[in-house]
Amino acid sequence: MTKIIAITGGKGGTGKSTVATALAYELSKENKVLLVDADVDCPNDHLLLNIERKQLNIVSQRIPKFDLDKCSKCGKCGTVCISKAIISLKEKYPIFIPEQCNGCGSCKIVCPEDAISWENKEIGKIYTGKKDNLNLLSGELKSNQPISEFIVNDLNDEIEKQKEKYDYIIIDTAAGTHCPVIAAFENADQIIAVTEPTPLGGHDLEVILGVLKKIHKTGTIIVNRSDIGDINKIKQVSLKFNMKIVFEIPYSKEIVDAYSKGNPITIPNIISVVNK
Amino acid sequence: MKSIVVLSGKGGVGKSSISASLAVVFSKDNKVVCADCDVDASNLSLLFSLSTDKYIEWKPLSTNQIAVVNEDKCIKCGKCIDICYFHALKMKGDFPRVKEFGCEGCGACELICPVDAITLHDIDNANIGYAKTNYGFSIASAQLSPGSSGSGKVVSEVRKKAKEISQNTEYLIIDSAAGIGCPVIASVAGNDYAIIVTEPTPSGFSDMKKALEVVNHFRIKNGIIINKFDLNEEYTKKIESFAKDNGIEIIQNIPFDKTFVKAMTNMIPIIDFDKKYESIFEDIKAKVIMGINK
Repeated sequence: MTKIIAITGGKGGTGKSTVATALAYELSKENKVLLVDADVDCPNDHLLLNIERKQLNIVSQRIPKFDLDKCSKCGKCGTVCISKAIISLKEKYPIFIPEQCNGCGSCKIVCPEDAISWENKEIGKIYTGKKDNLNLLSGELKSNQPISEFIVNDLNDEIEKQKEKYDYIIIDTAAGTHCPVIAAFENADQIIAVTEPTPLGGHDLEVILGVLKKIHKTGTIIVNRSDIGDINKIKQVSLKFNMKIVFEIPYSKEIVDAYSKGNPITIPNIISVVNK
Repeated sequence: MKSIVVLSGKGGVGKSSISASLAVVFSKDNKVVCADCDVDASNLSLLFSLSTDKYIEWKPLSTNQIAVVNEDKCIKCGKCIDICYFHALKMKGDFPRVKEFGCEGCGACELICPVDAITLHDIDNANIGYAKTNYGFSIASAQLSPGSSGSGKVVSEVRKKAKEISQNTEYLIIDSAAGIGCPVIASVAGNDYAIIVTEPTPSGFSDMKKALEVVNHFRIKNGIIINKFDLNEEYTKKIESFAKDNGIEIIQNIPFDKTFVKAMTNMIPIIDFDKKYESIFEDIKAKVIMGINK
């Protein structure tokens, strides 16, 4: 059975990618492991592992294509567009702003002249890569495209296709708690939140654990840089949500150095978080 | 009013710490208001020791709608399920069921339903409000409800709120979310100046370039702050030469200093916690004002 572990945290810069890459790399020494970088806004796992990525797929999203010969300038398409991607002015052809469009299709439904068909816009790419025994799948959103979760959904499809080949799949999520993060949890068997012992770390941990509770999943906590700051706040959050602190990583100049140089990071005994 | 947004792409490089101290330094001579546009994880106010129980206002906000199926009218034709581009409807038992976290509120299902069995209802997807800091200026913020969508629209509401709560404002300081997606685009659009905070690591450099693409898309004047610049001098040089090649000003190099964490743990802006930062932020302020007026 493949085990899927998602690494998250709420706050940015707490060490999600550090933990995800260290855990995946260590596990890959004796198991078949796929690391999935689902921080599609700013994927960095390949930089941490010094991997040259190769393009696997282009991720695209449908957008409406207007046949102006058929268009009667009725303006209905503009009135139903909640993304404000279509602007209809009286007796004028619709103005379309492709960046804003989420592909919902309401415009096509209401068009009485059947003047709307579909075309695709590229919104991102999926890459693969390899470091020794570890395989990487990395999604990347194109600049100025709003909908990160479409890329995460494609990563999920790819995970589903490749799942059988692996013992472990480690998913590194984005910062925050909105749609692309939740999409990354969909298939996870175990969720680990990486935080730091500051009021901000504690606050954001509470938010992300709240999300887990709401989607009926449970998780565990890793405290990074555990000796700088005040860990009591994190302990309170852990008690409140009944989710355990399973690992503490003290501040280490070696980790900071390795990170800043782009060398793979080792965290002794990190494998112990699996199944805890 | 001039508005300044602080962003970084990568999380945890010091956006909020820098935003907080920047607001304090601007407030010495000017009327300032802050907007915490990281609505996923809103914590700028914590740097001013303000938890939500100390807010002047904190109330539910609805920027989203969600589809609701009326089972009495539904004829189970399944057209709503087929039309939904977000796979937010699934047949569960006899009737289509809307997945709360998947629905974008686009209304395609409502339009396609042949028997008017689907309607869109407003849902509270965030809390929004404001608080007054010890420095005299106010800060608007919002927190998205766990798992809710619509962060971009909530960001726009926070920006609106910041303008509402402060009259004759001279500077609006916006703290953006991490990343470059929907909430960041909503935070960045339409500002007078953008400060991009980075750190000298491969990730920091890569994400800084992505943040710049968003800023350039909206044609916003900008400058870079390299935080923890002494962690890796070689990468700092790379960032500096990139900036030079692209005609971008490096506003400031800030050294790695554990005092940042101490200030954060004490919930006091670094500028007030360690007086040596006063001159550093005065300098940042002067360069930002020059940048705006260029």
